[in-house]
Amino acid sequence: MRDGPPRPSPAILVAGGNRRNLELLGRSLEADGWRVLTAACMEELDRALSVPEEIGLALVDIAGFGRDIWERCESLRARGVMLLVISPRRSQAIQQESLAHGARGVLVKPLSVREVMTLVRGLLRE
Amino acid sequence: MENDRVSTGISGLDEILDGGLIPGRTYLVRGGPGTGKTTLGLHFLVSGKAKGDKALFISLGEPESSVRRNAERQGLDLGGVSFLDLSPTPAFFAEVETYDIFSPAEVEREPITRRIVEEVENLKPSRVFIDSMTQFRYLAADPFQYRKQVLSFLRFLVERNATVLFASESSSEAPDDDLQFVCDGVIRLNDAPEGRSLSVSKFRGSSFLGGRHAMVLGGRGMEVFPRLVPEAYRKEFARETIPSGIPELDELLHGGLERGTVTLLTGPSGVGKSTLGMAFMKEAAGRGERSVMYTFEEEVELLLARCEAVNIPAYIMVERGTLAVEKIEPLRYSPEEFACAVRREVEGKGSRIVMLDSVSGYRLSLRGEDMTGHLHALCTYLKNMGVTVLLVNEVEHITGEFRATEVGISYLADNIVFLRYLEMQGELHKAIGVLKKRLSDFERTLREFQITRYGLKVGKPLVGLRGILTGTPEWTRPPG
Repeated sequence: MRDGPPRPSPAILVAGGNRRNLELLGRSLEADGWRVLTAACMEELDRALSVPEEIGLALVDIAGFGRDIWERCESLRARGVMLLVISPRRSQAIQQESLAHGARGVLVKPLSVREVMTLVRGLLRE
Repeated sequence: MENDRVSTGISGLDEILDGGLIPGRTYLVRGGPGTGKTTLGLHFLVSGKAKGDKALFISLGEPESSVRRNAERQGLDLGGVSFLDLSPTPAFFAEVETYDIFSPAEVEREPITRRIVEEVENLKPSRVFIDSMTQFRYLAADPFQYRKQVLSFLRFLVERNATVLFASESSSEAPDDDLQFVCDGVIRLNDAPEGRSLSVSKFRGSSFLGGRHAMVLGGRGMEVFPRLVPEAYRKEFARETIPSGIPELDELLHGGLERGTVTLLTGPSGVGKSTLGMAFMKEAAGRGERSVMYTFEEEVELLLARCEAVNIPAYIMVERGTLAVEKIEPLRYSPEEFACAVRREVEGKGSRIVMLDSVSGYRLSLRGEDMTGHLHALCTYLKNMGVTVLLVNEVEHITGEFRATEVGISYLADNIVFLRYLEMQGELHKAIGVLKKRLSDFERTLREFQITRYGLKVGKPLVGLRGILTGTPEWTRPPG
């Protein structure tokens, strides 16, 4: 799966407050052949959303963002971007909130690299 | 036999392991903090240098500079030992943001594994020490993964012809019992109030010396003193009798003392027990044989001077190598260490008479428990080696009802020779007698005993006296 040719597919937006997390997740996705955009704060997220770039999937780590992150989730849905929320813990409230704002599902940290890669491949091949 | 073994670099441990480690296998070194796991690993790596073995130290906890510094302090030259330092750098702590998106197992394992594989493929070491394997536990998702990873890592090294020693830290939260199953041998290090010790609990494909062995960590690194197993030593020797050189005393003993026996010289303080023992050593020196005396109380200088005063040329004997006098400082040695020192004298320097002055000094000066057991083992070993053993035993009572020895000692002795004070017609006299002699008959009477500046003097048998053992004998008929 690694070192495969880059897929001529839409980019993946990875957002979250922790740069080290973004770097690790981004590196894993790139190693799997995806194009990755990252956003470490609300401004960066807004900038990423303002560019007319084809984004297929957004992975949003809600840790590090305020409540206004839900609004951005809504706009992602409006753009037709698939959304997965990454939550720091297993929580009913976060689950409901995420699904209500357009998330396909919620991933709880720590993630397994292999699971994420399989999931992403599955979703973007749909 | 020894040629196909890999030395651990510690002679005592090699002896316990029946020559050393078996090459191409994996060995676990267990023990709490400060028990010497790293030191043992360093000895192992350094000792390969003489044979041109390539050695690799894989450090997961302690930085290379610190390991090198400690090795230097212990007199171990790490030149020629390669290092793979995988310990965390200070930068790791300074990183403000730590990740939580993936588990550490997923993030850290891969780069560490890659570096190890690269280093091993590159260097092709034949000796590898991993300090410590416990670090991998935190890089595995669960105990199953951990075990599998350790097994596969060890196989990776062994397939490349390495002999592997790996340390593990054992604590209550993270016991390392599982690691004992994945290796070919287990060396356990222990630090207890009565002294450090080492034991081997598993050694596939070889016999080994079981039980606890004394171990010392110091300026010369680690030293191991194997438990003395007397049965393992046997030497052919002539069952001859060695005389004291004092005709009356030899008459009393029907010739002298036999080789390969233990003789207890017993008596009250100051009566001349050590001097009596020295008489045998003086005679042995005349035959060109070496004797060794271990003194637990008296200073060497004083003892030698005292010998000189009674016509025993101790200084010349020491000079010629027919006598060694060693002062054993209190609480400095364990019984195993002491036994090793005695073995060096007997096996290395061919000493034929060994005297311990005294039994109570031995008991009090050495560290540890079960002193009678250790003394028994030492005496049995010496007997097997054909050494004449003299044990000095002090009894508290100057006169009065006779008491040969303390409880628990006399069974060790083949011969018991006693010295005692007698009061005869208002004068203090000394007498010598034999209570037991296993290999020959002996005179049943006492003889008068004197220490003069011309040497020991033993008189004619004291016949016609009654109540000798009370200390105040009476004549059964008038002297004359």
